[in-house]
Amino acid sequence: MIDAYRRFMNIEAPPAPQRPKGFFTDTSLCIGCKACEVACKQWNQLPADGNELSGNSYDNTGALGATTWRHVQFVEQAKANNSRVGQRWLMMSDVCKHCANAACLEACPTGALVRTEFGSVYVQQDICNGCGYCVPACPFGVIDRAPKDGHFEAGRAHKCTLCYDRQKDGLEPACAKACPTDSIQFGDIEELQAKARRRLADLRARGETSARLYGMPESTEAAEVGHLNAFFLLLDRPEVYNLPEVPRLPRKTMAQRYAISAVVGLAFAALSAVAFGRRSG
Amino acid sequence: MSDHPSPRAAELGVPAGYYDYPVVKRPVWTWEVPAYFWLGGLAGGAFLVSSAAELFGTDEDRLVARDGFVVAAAAALPCAPLLIKDLGNPQRFHHMLRIFKPLSPMNLGAWTLAAFTPVTLARAAAEAGRAGLLPGPLAAVARLLPRPLMNAAGSVLGAVLAGYSGVLLGATNIPLWAKSKLLGGVFMASAASSGVAAVMMAAARRRAPEKTLHKLSRLGTLATLGELAVLGAFLKQSGRAADPLVKNAFSVPFWAGAVGLGSLVPLVLEQVAGRRTGKFTRSLLTVSAVCSIAGSFCLRWTIFEAGKESAGDQAASFGLSRRTQA
Ligand code: SF4
Ligand code: SF4
Repeated sequence: MIDAYRRFMNIEAPPAPQRPKGFFTDTSLCIGCKACEVACKQWNQLPADGNELSGNSYDNTGALGATTWRHVQFVEQAKANNSRVGQRWLMMSDVCKHCANAACLEACPTGALVRTEFGSVYVQQDICNGCGYCVPACPFGVIDRAPKDGHFEAGRAHKCTLCYDRQKDGLEPACAKACPTDSIQFGDIEELQAKARRRLADLRARGETSARLYGMPESTEAAEVGHLNAFFLLLDRPEVYNLPEVPRLPRKTMAQRYAISAVVGLAFAALSAVAFGRRSG
Repeated sequence: MSDHPSPRAAELGVPAGYYDYPVVKRPVWTWEVPAYFWLGGLAGGAFLVSSAAELFGTDEDRLVARDGFVVAAAAALPCAPLLIKDLGNPQRFHHMLRIFKPLSPMNLGAWTLAAFTPVTLARAAAEAGRAGLLPGPLAAVARLLPRPLMNAAGSVLGAVLAGYSGVLLGATNIPLWAKSKLLGGVFMASAASSGVAAVMMAAARRRAPEKTLHKLSRLGTLATLGELAVLGAFLKQSGRAADPLVKNAFSVPFWAGAVGLGSLVPLVLEQVAGRRTGKFTRSLLTVSAVCSIAGSFCLRWTIFEAGKESAGDQAASFGLSRRTQA
């Protein structure tokens, strides 16, 4: 039946699922060169975001958004008197996490946001109607809607595609390809996770005791959103990098929210029935 | 911030987060969204009250219910255009209905609105037919419409429409909207009080029987008291996430508009009106209803806008996502 319908409607069968692929971003290797930002903009033909200087270290990008899918952060940890003691400069290339339980995907009312055969989360540009619900749903503030009056794909939601088009051709994503220090590594998620565990053990053994992994299946941040298909090795607590300690998945509290609303509604219905009861008034 | 998430950062005396950058994105929606939530709620509330009046009320009450159904239809009509106007690509609005995905409150709401609007229109048409306002053949069709069935369906759909908007905002990562789970209850209660007010307004204008007016006024008082109770609990649970609403940017329209105009003024006026009769009382109740309806918009609008502000509150975002909730 379905097959006949597909043939009749000229619908392609969905591609067979592959082993999930993703990013391991090892911030201990990042030198803040922003090659990933540039490579991403070039490959995906994303317009520039202006030339404003933020005054916050070398971070003039500011945030991920509709036209910025990699964002290199520069965390300056230094005493106010500029003493070199304990001074640290942390760098991190942030990106869409391609969450195992993706809040954006669950929120999307049109089905524009889908899980691809590579395990990534992808916005189908021909489906998205720009309702904007994915924007506040994402616990990491990643996805955004392009301005309605802009020149770039106006009024639709955009974010990292994990270079779906390149993956289709067996190429690694542009950012991982461009990264000169291998801070961004692309590959089979399970292999990357094993690699990350080894790297963490190595760093800890060398005295980097505050190093930690963010987005592994067993870690606290996976409690609601699951493991992250783009996960990180961090050198400090997640909040230092503006990452939430336990990213929330809105679905988890939705039933309770509906129930509360329904109780109030039923109470009102009961009140109305009593108010108009023939004996009253 | 008192509890410092990074010992290292604490030792150096540098901020806990990444500069003062927001953790989550500011919602892109504009005024159409709170306007739609307000009208949708009002329509749902008015429909429910009218159905109750028709089912449980006296013959006099039923006359008022007729006006109520027309009010509900009038409020429901602009909802879809408002919702569509806010989309980034309005010409693709029907993509909302290409799938049925109740997991997404936005999808559920779109389907509910798509079902509720024709029901209210048909229900209003049935009243118009009864009042002899429709030409011959149309009136015959309108007479065939199954009223009790429409009342039941419209009441359920209307209640969903009134409450889902609060759940929709709550099912995000915006601190003010998400911290407490009561927002759906707040919106439902506000829809109830404004729905009663809308029916009362129509009734007072149309010289409805005093007894029915008193019933509506008392129901309005109860709904408003309920609304204040749920709102109070919501604010208490929200804690500092509610700062943009109760203290900062939107405190004036919130306290003066949503609470003062929308709840306190109607409560006082309805008390003053009491069981009195006459033209003055009708005017009092009309003013009370208008205040309640306007306040209901203030409530949606201030919570909506203050929520957008709270998206920029890094500390509130961290508070929302800590393992041990502050
Ligand atoms: S990080 Fe945000 S945008 Fe990316 S998949 Fe997760 S929820 Fe969606
Ligand atoms: S803006 Fe587009 S991708 Fe985002 S939830 Fe709406 S339809 Fe889905």
